[in-house]
Amino acid sequence: MSSPASSLPPPRQSQNYTAQVARQVLAQWGARLGLAWIGLLGLLAVFAPFLASSHPLLLSQDGQLDSPLLRYLTPADASLLALFCAGLILVMARASLRTWLVGLGSVLILAGVTSAALIRPPVLAIYEQYRQQEAAGGYDWVIYAPIPYSPKDYQRDRGETGLQPPLTSPQADHWFGTEENGADVLSRMVHASRIALGIGFVATSIALLLGILIGGLMGYFSGVMDIIGMRLVEIFEAVPTLFLLLTFVAFFERSLYLLMVIIGLTSWSGYARYVRAEFLRLRQQDFVQAALACGLPLRSILFRHMLPNGIGPILVAASFGVASAILAEAVLSFLGLGLVDDPSWGQMLNQAVKSSTFNWWMAAFPGGAIFLTVFAYNLIGEALRDALDPYLKKS
Amino acid sequence: MSTYVIRRLLLMIPTLLGITLVVFTVMAASPGGISAQSLIEGQNLEPQAKKALEDYYNQLYGLDSPPAIQYLRWLNNASPAGFTFDKENNISSFSLWKGSDLGTSFRYGRPVLELIEERVPITLLLNLLSLPLIYTLAIAIGVRAATERGKLFDMGSSALLLGLWSVPVMLAGVLLIGFFASNQYWHWFPTAGLNTRAALDMPFLPHWGSLKEVALLLGAGVAGAAAGVGLAQAPRLLRIGLLAGLGMGLGFWMGTGLPHPHVGMNLSLGALLALGIGGLGYTDYAGLRLGLLGLLGAGLGLAVGAQWGSGEFTRGFLLDRLWHLVLPVLCLTYSGFAFLSKLTRTAVLENLMADYARTARAKGLAENMVLWKHVFRNSLLPLITVSATLLPGLLAGSVIVESIFSIEGMGKLAVEAVQTRDRELVLSITLISGLLTLAGYLIADLCYAIADPRVSYD
Repeated sequence: MSSPASSLPPPRQSQNYTAQVARQVLAQWGARLGLAWIGLLGLLAVFAPFLASSHPLLLSQDGQLDSPLLRYLTPADASLLALFCAGLILVMARASLRTWLVGLGSVLILAGVTSAALIRPPVLAIYEQYRQQEAAGGYDWVIYAPIPYSPKDYQRDRGETGLQPPLTSPQADHWFGTEENGADVLSRMVHASRIALGIGFVATSIALLLGILIGGLMGYFSGVMDIIGMRLVEIFEAVPTLFLLLTFVAFFERSLYLLMVIIGLTSWSGYARYVRAEFLRLRQQDFVQAALACGLPLRSILFRHMLPNGIGPILVAASFGVASAILAEAVLSFLGLGLVDDPSWGQMLNQAVKSSTFNWWMAAFPGGAIFLTVFAYNLIGEALRDALDPYLKKS
Repeated sequence: MSTYVIRRLLLMIPTLLGITLVVFTVMAASPGGISAQSLIEGQNLEPQAKKALEDYYNQLYGLDSPPAIQYLRWLNNASPAGFTFDKENNISSFSLWKGSDLGTSFRYGRPVLELIEERVPITLLLNLLSLPLIYTLAIAIGVRAATERGKLFDMGSSALLLGLWSVPVMLAGVLLIGFFASNQYWHWFPTAGLNTRAALDMPFLPHWGSLKEVALLLGAGVAGAAAGVGLAQAPRLLRIGLLAGLGMGLGFWMGTGLPHPHVGMNLSLGALLALGIGGLGYTDYAGLRLGLLGLLGAGLGLAVGAQWGSGEFTRGFLLDRLWHLVLPVLCLTYSGFAFLSKLTRTAVLENLMADYARTARAKGLAENMVLWKHVFRNSLLPLITVSATLLPGLLAGSVIVESIFSIEGMGKLAVEAVQTRDRELVLSITLISGLLTLAGYLIADLCYAIADPRVSYD
């Protein structure tokens, strides 16, 4: 580029840098594949009820149209769809990071509250009614979802009980087989992608927030604050995270949201260490001293001046952190300490060797999904580190 | 230095207190909590017996007092210095060396310390077997990747290692058990436990019916090793071809060993093994190739020798134990060495570009000498220090492996303890693993100071 820099409007450094890093990350095949897989999982998670459900998508009964699927849509489904639409609009509008955060946050709260207030799906879902009606010729026509099984539709009326390998009998139509209660594995896996993604994102966000807050205060103030903070960090580091998680989970009720909070609460110490080290270094630098001399409020110095300069390595750690949060949930479910009835990849993997026989499809498909997701996040983390750390790239 | 160590040791105390406080608070704050009632819940007892049992628990563990008192009581019992009580639970004296008592397990009704003493050696055995494996593999791969930076080996190994690192331990364990231990596929290894019951009565070392058999076995092993070494020195195309053929044969043989033989399975297994074993021949590191092929030949020779023998052979306790340990150790090893070889690679790279390496090269030292005499020694520093922090991590990692393979070690004990709400056991395990971790960190820091004269803590 030969255009003189002075004639350009002063660029916003942070945006420029972000775009540059994003370009470098996307230049790597590993990162592209990883992002593609995460994107696919995101789509599966958002549209899970439309992809895999025993409720007919649309049916005609005595000339009247009805959509049981829409009637049974839960508030969580509606909020996810709203979030997805908001995301699409923001992508179209090429919004800035700030708009993204504000936009998605407000949509999440708004959609969550309104859907919880307005949408009341029937509590009990009896899936046989559709099959019986259909067999008795009660419907003029029915359109089912591509995978016509709900994750908790424990096939009571098809003579299939328990574990069945995929597509062995001629009339079988479970692509990934069935699990121990006779539910469709593929359907459960599609719905479980929500749990995996949700846990990864929310738990890591909680851990990041805590880590940045505690680490930032430790690094900026040092002294007594640092000593107390480091003890706190050490406490959470000295117990193996898995063991702390086990204790938390075993003594509290099993709920998805609690699981997210617990995984977040047990994994912030690493981020706090990073942020502390970064802030200790940055505190000595001229621009921070200048900001101090200008009399800027503490909030501004910490979060507007220091944090953007130290966020790089933390984002890399966060990317690996999402992978380990997903793994943590899978391990808990595998050990039988996860969610009780909700589908989860780890819990499905548990059934692979449960009944003395080896059910290979229960290991291959859910296990493969866990592996691919963790691998995708690790690939992205690796690419991000290469883009952010020129020294490592050179070597 | 000694002041530093003393300061660190003193700082351990608040951390350990904090750990137990966190865990205790979690347990006390949980819905239901831990009370005498929750402990005997679900037991079908007469009301009177129930009441008596409740009183007994209350008296034994002080479960009816407020949580803060319970914690202080536990702390006093566990710490080596503290108050001693007389029979009526009144403080009788303060002693600096009263000895620590970790209490009695709710579930097992045995002293916690006894339980832990029983389980620790098993977990240690698992980990101490996998550590050397992790280090050898990591160093071999890391050094090679660093010297071939940017070439095929470097790129391939780093992608492969990242992939290996992402395989969850439970998936690997389940697949290994499923394919190599269940009788639906190859029933080569046992599915659970650390030894078969019969092995407890066997002599320690394996022994054979006659001297002839020993000679046959040894001869076959040596002949196989010699054949492997010989093959390793053959020209590249020849050796790759021969090895691929060998792999193909092995694959077919494995396929026929299945309960339900299938031609497609045979072919794909043959192709897979041909690719894998043929790939061994591709290695251009002469030493590595000799070692690998020698081992492979010796293994095959021993297997063939054992087949020919009359089979009058007692496994012995040692061989039985090793046979049970293969799969768990494999599970523990693969996840650890990916991280470590990455570390080795960066350390070696950093040192290869350092000024002293350039000087050594400039004075005419051979590249191999520079690498192994100078660079490698200095690159070992971070590896040594990491090992101290690796051990507590491995203890945690064995939670999954021990549950999959039903090995009665610390990890399984921990899972059982939290599942049965065994308060004394949970607290003790946290305390001990916390102590181990902190000690690990301290040793790591000290090792760093000892190994690197530039670091000082004064």
